[in-house]
Amino acid sequence: MGEIRPEPIEQIRQRYEGEWLLIKVTSYDESGLPKEGILLFHSPDREAVYEAVDDAFKRGEDELLTCFAGPLVPEGWEVVLSVLGSV
Amino acid sequence: MFWVRFDPTRPDVRFWARLLSLRGIVWCEMVLDTGSSRTVLDERLLARAGYDLIASPKVTVTTASGRMEAKIVTVRQISALGISADDFPVLAMPLSQPLGIDGLLGLDFLRLRNLFCNFEKGILLTLPFSRNLTHRFALSAQIFAAL
Repeated sequence: MGEIRPEPIEQIRQRYEGEWLLIKVTSYDESGLPKEGILLFHSPDREAVYEAVDDAFKRGEDELLTCFAGPLVPEGWEVVLSVLGSV
Repeated sequence: MFWVRFDPTRPDVRFWARLLSLRGIVWCEMVLDTGSSRTVLDERLLARAGYDLIASPKVTVTTASGRMEAKIVTVRQISALGISADDFPVLAMPLSQPLGIDGLLGLDFLRLRNLFCNFEKGILLTLPFSRNLTHRFALSAQIFAAL
């Protein structure tokens, strides 16, 4: 488990570059988007962070944030994302 | 009007999305993907947020690398870019580990409002559909400020 004082989410991201983060949201900016939070868990493994989401809800947390602290794709990679599907 | 800045030097345009689930609220990062007909969320995140993927219907989707199977999950509410949709069906698929995102915001979601993107300055606006001429002028004035 991490710190207990809320801090800017961008600051947390800079500290744990290359890892997935689970953050408890504590405040929002003027657009209503997450601004500050408390780091609950971090790992380079996405699945481990998703498992931590489960644990946090079980502990009674009700507003969580997950994100990756780093580039969308590793350096040297390119990505094509589009998905076509119908219901 | 919703107004947000993004980093125009990045190769992707990513935004926070707010997902309301049976267990609480999960904020996650999604990439704007106007080439995607459907909104996609990582299936593992949806499962941890309390959605039942086992009982969800399957659908075959086409990606850039071929066909694959996905589940259709109706989320209670998804909000992003000033747009909010209740009981919104999304595709639940695994997103590969090297990708640092939880999902794709596709056209089915983006079509709920007008979208204006200034890629030079890194400004994105979502605006309601114009109702009449006066409203159209008012919306134009808002876009002008972002040019």
